[in-house]
Amino acid sequence: MFDLEKEIRKWKKNLQKYEVFEDGQAADIELHLRDAYNARRESGISEENAFRQAVAQVGTAESIAAEYSKNRLIMLNRRSPLRPGRFMPALVWNYVKTALRAIRRQKGYSLINVSGLAIGLTVCMLIVLWVVDEWSFDRFNTNAGRIYRVYRNESATQKNSTSVLTPPPMAAALKSNFPEIIKATRFGYWQRQLVTYKDKSFNETRYRNADPDFFAMFSFPLARGNPETVFSKPYSVILTKKTAAKYFGEEDPIGKILTVNNSFDVTVTGIIHNESFNSSLEFDLLSPFEILLKESIGEKNADNWGFNSFGTYVMLEQSASAENVNQKLTGYLKKYTDEDTDELVLQPLTDIHLFSNLGHDLDNRGDIKYVWIFSALALFVLLIACVNFMNLTTARSANRAREVGLRKVVGAGRPQLIRQFFGESILMAALALMIALCLVEILLPLFNTLSGKQLPSAWRNNPALLLGFIGLALVTGISSGIYPALFLSSFQPIRILKGTMRSSGANPFFRKVLVIFQFTLSVFLIIGTIVISRQLSYMRNIDLGFNREHIIHLSIHGELHDKYSAIRERFLQNPDVLHVTASMALPTNIQSSPGTPMWEGRPDDAKMEIKADFVDYDYIETFEIPLVEGRSFSREYSTDPETAFIVNEEAVRRMGLEKPVVGKRFGFWEIDGQIIGVMKDAHFQILHQKIEPLVFKMFPGWLRRMYVKIRSDNVSATLASLHKTWDEMNLGYPFEFRFLDEDFHNLYESEARLERIFQSFAALAVFIACLGLFGLASFMGEQRTKEIGIRKVLGSSTAGIMALLNQQFLKWIAAANLIAWPVAYFAMQKWLQKFAYRTNIEIWVFLLSAALGLTVALLTVSVQTLRAARANPVDSLKHE
Amino acid sequence: MAASTRPIILAILSRREDYGYSIIQKVKDITGGHLKWTDGMLYPVLQRMEMDDLISSQWKLSGENRPRRYYTITERGRKELASELVSWRNVWQALVRLAEPIPAQD
Repeated sequence: MFDLEKEIRKWKKNLQKYEVFEDGQAADIELHLRDAYNARRESGISEENAFRQAVAQVGTAESIAAEYSKNRLIMLNRRSPLRPGRFMPALVWNYVKTALRAIRRQKGYSLINVSGLAIGLTVCMLIVLWVVDEWSFDRFNTNAGRIYRVYRNESATQKNSTSVLTPPPMAAALKSNFPEIIKATRFGYWQRQLVTYKDKSFNETRYRNADPDFFAMFSFPLARGNPETVFSKPYSVILTKKTAAKYFGEEDPIGKILTVNNSFDVTVTGIIHNESFNSSLEFDLLSPFEILLKESIGEKNADNWGFNSFGTYVMLEQSASAENVNQKLTGYLKKYTDEDTDELVLQPLTDIHLFSNLGHDLDNRGDIKYVWIFSALALFVLLIACVNFMNLTTARSANRAREVGLRKVVGAGRPQLIRQFFGESILMAALALMIALCLVEILLPLFNTLSGKQLPSAWRNNPALLLGFIGLALVTGISSGIYPALFLSSFQPIRILKGTMRSSGANPFFRKVLVIFQFTLSVFLIIGTIVISRQLSYMRNIDLGFNREHIIHLSIHGELHDKYSAIRERFLQNPDVLHVTASMALPTNIQSSPGTPMWEGRPDDAKMEIKADFVDYDYIETFEIPLVEGRSFSREYSTDPETAFIVNEEAVRRMGLEKPVVGKRFGFWEIDGQIIGVMKDAHFQILHQKIEPLVFKMFPGWLRRMYVKIRSDNVSATLASLHKTWDEMNLGYPFEFRFLDEDFHNLYESEARLERIFQSFAALAVFIACLGLFGLASFMGEQRTKEIGIRKVLGSSTAGIMALLNQQFLKWIAAANLIAWPVAYFAMQKWLQKFAYRTNIEIWVFLLSAALGLTVALLTVSVQTLRAARANPVDSLKHE
Repeated sequence: MAASTRPIILAILSRREDYGYSIIQKVKDITGGHLKWTDGMLYPVLQRMEMDDLISSQWKLSGENRPRRYYTITERGRKELASELVSWRNVWQALVRLAEPIPAQD
């Protein structure tokens, strides 16, 4: 009996011997067989014959299988549609979508990541702006590479002593003596002038003088006037735009006449706009040097080689080398003055702002050290932000392991995944860049007060800088993305999808190192801040050895100098005025005087550097300087103004004078006199320096500053009454005064600035490090949810779990402290070496910063661990 | 397998979707039963055409309540058919110009 189904099964079995038949294809052919069989049955053929014919019609399994095999071969040879192309634009949107989805799904992490990076970038940008500004000094000059300042190396007489002050005839002499020097100008640094236009009158502290070559050397653009003729008449002046506006407002300034010191007139011949240029030659008004000779120092001094009071700048020929000129300059001064053993040295113009630490220079010079320190800080903050980014991305990478696995399974290659993750980190960095750019705009005024600069918004007038920042963000994005990209793409899909992948994410060792690094830096900055602020308060509160409180001082320049005695008399009539005196230099700025004084019993070869100031009667009394021997300058001794010297203890010690010192012969500046008093050592200089020998001598012709000691009560009323007296005297100068103690405070302005900057950085570093720690803690809490659940079920308390979770963080932070301490100790010790008088770095500083770091970290971490520890175990375990 | 098989299948499917047994019947009708290969050989051809994205297939229940794999011509298949028709016509015209008209044959 013919059994169709049995025969078909047999036939099918034969078919299935060939593995090329997939199930669907076998079914297809079986159906065909059945159709063919049915058709034959319908035409009346017997079952058995119908089946045999149908089988024949379908054909042998072997021949069909052969055709299928050909197809399969073609398929294999052909590029599989699943193999990825080099670039698949279709996937780009998918990447963006996944990235945005990742950001949206993990708002907290993304916020931390982006804000951390944004803050890092902001700080970095602000500092780059600052550094660029510092570097830009004098570089706008087209001849910057050929211009040099001539300074004196005084080491023959005083070790390590230099001075930028040179005599008036030098510029012209150098120009005619050296063919290499093609241009030269003098530059008058120290001039304070009263300038009047109609009813407007200002004390100008930046009224400078220069020679006509000035305009041929420097590239200050003249807005008005011809650089070749502006100085053709000696009584001319050029103003900066700002200054011109101050005097003339909207009027045309050219041809206007300004009166200087109520004694001579100058005509405005040019307007310069130097406001947008950083120059080491600062000036608001500039007149020919001739005026200085005629009106101030006397034309007889034009050839005085001993009158060292001015800067000299030279420009070399294109091919000349400064080294050669320097060599030729050896012994140059000796030709003109026999005793002058100083050597002249050329200093490149572009070194003046950052690399110069020369005597008598203007005090607003920069310091390359700070440029390096700040650059390093910027780099560190950026590094911390990057590290956070890497840390968080790797930490949460486990959450995306499945995505990586799936992408790999459907054909993503490693390069594609790397590109995807790089793309993500660059997207984040771009977002951070946007935020940072806004933040920089907002924070710039604040930063300006912090840094004491006037930085304009940088990218509006400096597209190169903006491009640089974009580049910086790109580099940050890429460097932040490197680890996640390489790490995530190395996942093995089979392990991820099987679930055997350990979900801890990144290498725990790496993560530990990152967190420790961040906290090391934070602790370092905290220690630095504390040490700096301690040193500052030490310097501000140290007993200087004299009284600087309630003393105002006024400049007595120009005509005021001649009226000093009259002003003094009038002021002393005021019952609230205790003393009035005067001196040449401010007590904050008493300078060394060249040469060695003569004293009784001085060995011939003895040398002594000594600081000197010319003072008036009552100086010792006004500043309450204690005398250990002898007396102060007194009107009762007619010889005092001529031959009396008062020295300090240090000078006595160095000279090796025996007691009694009073009455011993002492001479200086070719004056033969005697010591009438010895004062106790006092800090008349910045505390960076040790107390040095000091001598006071009366010299009425050289008094430049008047000091008024007033009663401590009713200060403002006293000042008002002094102002009134001043106006009544019709002096023709405004009543401008400063408090001396403020000047002392200002001595440490650069340290105070450093303190403020360290504070801000420390706060930022701690903040960013905490952001990182916060993210990490929440991540780890999540990772250990089940463990926490089980522990709670088994009886752990919330406190116990918190202790467990916090423990590891505490260990890391303890390690960070151990690394930061020695580093901070050595760095700060080195910084403190700058000060002759300094605080100690005490152990509590370290303990305090450690406590601070620990507290902040613990608070940060606890917010997260507490949440993890208090979670209901049912929630975390119900899926098991 | 003859070069004409694929255009013929495409032409059949361009009218409406169809399943294997029915397609082969129509091929036989058109060509007057002169097939040099067995029915089973059709299926690898269909697979190959599907690989080339000329046709697509889908299992459906047929009128007699049997599951059948129905083949549909794709857009690409239609284009292919159009260009095949053009080239067959060209070949035909070339042959006509060269010699006596001969019947179109496989």
